[in-house]
Amino acid sequence: MNFSPLDWLVLVATLILIISWGIYKSKTSRNLSGYFLSDRQMPWWIILLSIMGTQASAVTFLTAPGQAYTDGMRFVQYYFGLPIAMVIVCATLVPIFHRLKVYTAYEYLEQRFDVRTRTFTSFLFLLSRGVSTGISVIAPSIVLHSLLGWNFYVTNIAMGGLLIIYTTTGGAKAVAYTQQIQFIIIYAAMFVACWYAIDMLPEGIGIRDALHISGKAGKLNVISSGVEDGSFNWKDKYNIWSGVIGGLFLSLSYFGTDQSQVGRYLTAKSEKESKLGLLMNGLVKVPLQFFILIIGVFIFSFYQFYKAPAHFNLAAEKQVLSGKYADDYRAASVRYDSVQATKRNTAVELAAALHSDDEAAIDRLRTELQQEEKNAQVQRTTIKDLVKKANPASDGNDTNYIFLRFVGDFLPKGIVGLIIAIIFLAAWGSIAAALNSLASCTMIDFHKKFSKKQLTEEEEYKWSKWYTVGWGLFCVFIAQFAYNLGNSLIEAVNILGSWFYGTILGVFLVAFFLKRIGAKAVFFGAVISELLVIAVYFADIVSFLWLNVIGAFGVIILSFIIQLFLPTKSPDIIAGADSKSI
Amino acid sequence: WWYWLVLGFLLLLIVLFYFFTKRFA
Repeated sequence: MNFSPLDWLVLVATLILIISWGIYKSKTSRNLSGYFLSDRQMPWWIILLSIMGTQASAVTFLTAPGQAYTDGMRFVQYYFGLPIAMVIVCATLVPIFHRLKVYTAYEYLEQRFDVRTRTFTSFLFLLSRGVSTGISVIAPSIVLHSLLGWNFYVTNIAMGGLLIIYTTTGGAKAVAYTQQIQFIIIYAAMFVACWYAIDMLPEGIGIRDALHISGKAGKLNVISSGVEDGSFNWKDKYNIWSGVIGGLFLSLSYFGTDQSQVGRYLTAKSEKESKLGLLMNGLVKVPLQFFILIIGVFIFSFYQFYKAPAHFNLAAEKQVLSGKYADDYRAASVRYDSVQATKRNTAVELAAALHSDDEAAIDRLRTELQQEEKNAQVQRTTIKDLVKKANPASDGNDTNYIFLRFVGDFLPKGIVGLIIAIIFLAAWGSIAAALNSLASCTMIDFHKKFSKKQLTEEEEYKWSKWYTVGWGLFCVFIAQFAYNLGNSLIEAVNILGSWFYGTILGVFLVAFFLKRIGAKAVFFGAVISELLVIAVYFADIVSFLWLNVIGAFGVIILSFIIQLFLPTKSPDIIAGADSKSI
Repeated sequence: WWYWLVLGFLLLLIVLFYFFTKRFA
């Protein structure tokens, strides 16, 4: 995959533009409100772009098209719970956060329960978000390292380090304004990539044909029920039920209790602007995700007519070919090529049948295409297994490489540089928001809360900047360090994050809806619920989206039961009752 | 306070996606 001088020019110019814009927009009042809340000046549309820029990381744009290519469109169901969560967050937590004028979500828990609950949840946030932000730098860096041959450690510093410049100088305001520009560039570039994927289809094959071919190969499974052989498969990751219910609880946790998102909409100039930003996100998020996934479908259609690589990860392929599995790999590649050739003929015949509305031929060719797609998947699995054998540290998966490999192989010079640039921009958008929120929790929930010395506004402002730099360096360090420990550690960290999410949401739900439950009951309810989540995870009986539901309901039910056994006039309950006046 | 608009739009999308899935399968 070549990266031409023009590509370098586009990439460097885009990155310099963002950093310059971030520094230019860095002027804020030199106090905590200016640095972490942009002096509460932001309109709803900046809030909207900011929460979308925070949620969409580099992996979103790398994985989604590849996911559609391999597994079809059903991943979009993962986002079905999000609009419902937006409504619930707007009706419950947003008014409270604004009325209490909090800096962090966890301040509310001190007002409702006690300082222990606040400190504990804030600590869990710092731990899981700090480490997972560092880990999030690795995936895009590995892809660029493999496809372009760039030095992994230098790429990491660019991916996770350069944004520290504007995030530190401008705080929440610089984060929001850079996310605005990033959003425009990212979606413009994705639109260009989509246009090229459609434009390069063979003569006589239009969008409708492309959709029919990929649909009949099973890639347009936008809605799936999760029912297999007459019963619901709880381990099926993406179906309408795990999407609506599991996705709802995941989104509630993320937008209601994760400071990296809460910190975005707290910068709004009023409660109304916060709500509008969140509700608009509820309207546009699913269609935008559909658009990113459909790019993968068009790439799949494109590869029905042109030779697809046996494995999309160039570096992994080279590694196999230089080792003892080279002959096996070549043989598997030849088999894959022959399956592809058969499939190509079927696709051409199917397009002709579609044009002549020959229903009988369409039915016959649909069955053939589905069988050939299954054969192709079998060959690809064999190839992945060989990649894994050649490099036991990798999982052999090439989903993250599909989109960029297509871009590098087929898109013109300059556009390749632009697409690589948006991977950096997407990474920066989510990491910058994370650093800003990590610094705000460190400063507000720990330093300011427990410091014996009274700080001046200027001192608080300077400490906040240093915490931003500190967390930025921590994340880059984690990325450099974790890569050497291999994939299993990275996966473990991601799993660890999902363990706490449901439980923290449960604490917030109890805080809001169950006024009779006090601090002691919710604390022990949360601890027992956490152990339950971990037990269910190790029992491996449900897919990860259901863990959040179990964690949240666990806290609600257990704390309710524990409260029944506590004396009714405990100080806890008085604290709980007092919070009604919040 | 839009809430019905967001929920109604989600329902509309799910129905459209269902027919989209059926149409091209």
